[in-house]
Amino acid sequence: MTDYSAFGNLTIGQYLPYGSLVHHLDPRAKIVMFSLLVAGVTFASSFSASVLLLAALMGIVRLSRTPLRYALQGLRPALPWIAIFATLQLLFYQGQYGSDVCSTIWSWGFINITTCSIRQIGLMVLRLLEFMIVISLLTLTTTTAELTHGMDLLLSPLRRLRFPAHELSLIFAIALRFAPTLAGELERIMKAQASRGADFGEQGRLRFIQRTRNMLPLMVPLFLSALRRAEDLTLAMEARGYTGGKGRTSYVTLSAQPADYLALGTVCVFCAILFFLPLETLDTLIVATVSHNMQEVYSLIAH
Amino acid sequence: MPLTAVGGGELMTPVLRVEDLHHTYLPGTPFEAVSLQGVNMEVQEGEIVAIIGPTGSGKSTLIQHFNGLISPQRGSVTVLGQDLRDHDLDIKRLRRQVGMIFQTPEQQLFEQYVGDDIAFGPRNFGLDAAEVRQRVKRAMEMVGLGFEDFKDRLTFSLSGGEMRKVAIAGVLALEPRILVFDEPTSGLDPATASEFLAKIRELRDLEKVTIIIVSHNMESVAQLADRIYVIVQGQSVLEGTPQQIFSQSDQIRDYGLDTPQVTQVMQGLRSCGRPVRADLLSVREAEEEICRCFDLTERQVDH
Ligand SMILES: Nc1ncnc2c1ncn2[C@@H]1O[C@H](COP(=O)(O)OP(=O)(O)O)[C@@H](O)[C@H]1O
Ligand SMILES: [Mg+2]
Repeated sequence: MTDYSAFGNLTIGQYLPYGSLVHHLDPRAKIVMFSLLVAGVTFASSFSASVLLLAALMGIVRLSRTPLRYALQGLRPALPWIAIFATLQLLFYQGQYGSDVCSTIWSWGFINITTCSIRQIGLMVLRLLEFMIVISLLTLTTTTAELTHGMDLLLSPLRRLRFPAHELSLIFAIALRFAPTLAGELERIMKAQASRGADFGEQGRLRFIQRTRNMLPLMVPLFLSALRRAEDLTLAMEARGYTGGKGRTSYVTLSAQPADYLALGTVCVFCAILFFLPLETLDTLIVATVSHNMQEVYSLIAH
Repeated sequence: MPLTAVGGGELMTPVLRVEDLHHTYLPGTPFEAVSLQGVNMEVQEGEIVAIIGPTGSGKSTLIQHFNGLISPQRGSVTVLGQDLRDHDLDIKRLRRQVGMIFQTPEQQLFEQYVGDDIAFGPRNFGLDAAEVRQRVKRAMEMVGLGFEDFKDRLTFSLSGGEMRKVAIAGVLALEPRILVFDEPTSGLDPATASEFLAKIRELRDLEKVTIIIVSHNMESVAQLADRIYVIVQGQSVLEGTPQQIFSQSDQIRDYGLDTPQVTQVMQGLRSCGRPVRADLLSVREAEEEICRCFDLTERQVDH
């Protein structure tokens, strides 16, 4: 039986009110911290750095008291792709280290599995995991209101350059706010049309025209309802005197606490360590040692 | 069909039977919500059964089981002899037999022309063009929209009430044996609402359709239903005829529900020591009873 729960997928990354240390940090500090960590994940090209990052992230997950399984749920739909890429890399990756470092574990025709390709796959999987954790952590521990307020303030210096900081964060806030609403709406419409015998994507995966036609009974009501909501929202905002970001004050005034500076400082130092320590060399060393040992094992077997 | 009503006999197999039904939304996540925890009910062929209960008590969740939009997590649902836990249940056949009309059904319209929208259901079930046309015509006449007059009208140029009629016709065109309504009169003006309720009764009387209706309007429930189920916190707590249910007014109020205003007036009179019957549901009956009790003739009441 088809499951029509559109909410199920959307609760991924929804705020969990656990009131931990991480929850209480200033959203500005959190946004900067998590951006730094994303940069760390992106630029850490060595296995050792990735392992360090993962350890650090696990620590933050622990502090935030969010269930790790939950933070990783968003990864599930991507699993088949990860598996495919991992297999391709495993089979065809020709290491960037010379053959002096990598050692072949198994080779058959043009397929060549080396210690380097295994390192590469490990790196890829770790990175994906880390991205997922960083991004979920931010949204799991920060309400959308805090996020947008924080973003608004962080971007406000750019206003002098006529950058529409307030408008941008408002768009962001509305998008976040209405995602679950529209998902609920979609679920409702799907159920209504299914009750009239509509099939969604059950017949012939390759019949694109058929499939697109099948989406019309969903898309038309969904767009209409989105437009209706947009209109209502506009009216509601105007009725309450909203005139844009100019001269607008805020009910919540954020003030950074020592804990915020401390957290931010720690993350900065950590990222600096990742960047400046010769972790690449450590990697090479590990791979070389493993390769070396493997060769010894092989030669032992050969004798 | 192994299970149908025995013609004219007293012994009937229910067209719908729910036993100890449980449902939890998003189980195993922090958003877990228990919505049903032990519902039992039975509906006989040709009955009008109302389901009442406070908001969030699980009424909508319950009725979505009836045409397989939600499958039973624990307990069982049997509809027209089909066990919904069956793995080889013919879901399309079930949806054709059980029509489902959600709250504000006008929001599920999507076709440009009224006739096409009503034909959506019959076409999905693969009926031929002549049959579809016949059914659209019948359905439109049942809801009081002239076929020639309305079939080529633009769907989105209709009034709200007309759109709701079109949406209901879209479900009636499936010619279901059981019709389920989720708060069919919400958002309608009183005149249109009572017109709708009259239509619902007509459907049962003329077409022998079994009707299940979720409603918050105690007056209309009292008028319309043969039997009532009261659902509170996901459990079926009371069952009986409108008289039986509404004479337990203390209990009904404990559940956060109201009794019809007529019943309240009669009970008020009784507690002032007037020997009136308190189990009356319609204004007409109440009027007669008050006249009888106070030795008035009807004409005096009229002035
Ligand atoms: N799609 C859904 N996802 C998660 N929880 C839901 C969903 N629909 C309803 N619920 C929850 O289940 C409970 C019962 O809801 P519902 O069946 O809609 O009650 P009613 O129709 O009696 O108002 C409520 O607590 C509601 O929050
Ligand atoms: Mg409901």
